[in-house]
Amino acid sequence: MAVRDELRQQLELIGAIQPALHLPQNWNYEVDSALFKAYLHPPHDVGGQFDAPGVYEEKEEEQWELNTYVTCEVLGWRGIWNSEERRRRADNDLGYTLYLGIPYYGRWILAAARMLVDKNHVSLTELIEKIAEVKARYAKQ
Amino acid sequence: MPSNKPSAKNRTRAVEARFKVGDRVRVKDLPNLFYSRTQMYVRGAVGTIAALTYQDVLPEDEAFNRDGRLEQYYIVRFRQKDLWPEYPFENDSLQTESPERWLEPVDS
Repeated sequence: MAVRDELRQQLELIGAIQPALHLPQNWNYEVDSALFKAYLHPPHDVGGQFDAPGVYEEKEEEQWELNTYVTCEVLGWRGIWNSEERRRRADNDLGYTLYLGIPYYGRWILAAARMLVDKNHVSLTELIEKIAEVKARYAKQ
Repeated sequence: MPSNKPSAKNRTRAVEARFKVGDRVRVKDLPNLFYSRTQMYVRGAVGTIAALTYQDVLPEDEAFNRDGRLEQYYIVRFRQKDLWPEYPFENDSLQTESPERWLEPVDS
């Protein structure tokens, strides 16, 4: 098993993707009201923010993205969630690190999984075991 | 516990719309807590009602699957220069949508 080898690499990556706040902080005793307001700002309200330098590319949807979209729409169609709740979970509740760090539909599918666990449609154990089973099946191919 | 499935019977129509097309309104700066659809860049800005759209539940409630009272939604038009002081063109405008709760009247 390569698990132990991967561990060191994971620890370094996790350290590197902590949000860069440019302010020393760790469980502050006091937070002034301006900073508190900034902390509570919903991550998806990006209008007017300074942009990070980036290259924009035209990109077609991939199959997994289309599957994710359909899955999330069907969950809505069946009354499991509504689009505003999906937006809240996929845009806000994941937090800045995930919001800025992973692809658009990656946020959707993570939010859908979390919602299904939150609402007891699937247990987390069940979900974890299923993911492990599918990963093992792919590894054999 | 509120139903997961929004149904018409749990919803009540809003009272008469408070604003009409042409009214001047200011966007409130209510506290952000967990969720909001009201963009920071329009808060505190004064705009003009461009259209009445529909009645719907509030985003902050619908996001947590609450059903309930419907509120009037409006298209509000802002001068770009009122939103971004450095904006170079006088006549450009920006329209966005807002529920009544987030708007307050401006005496002209």
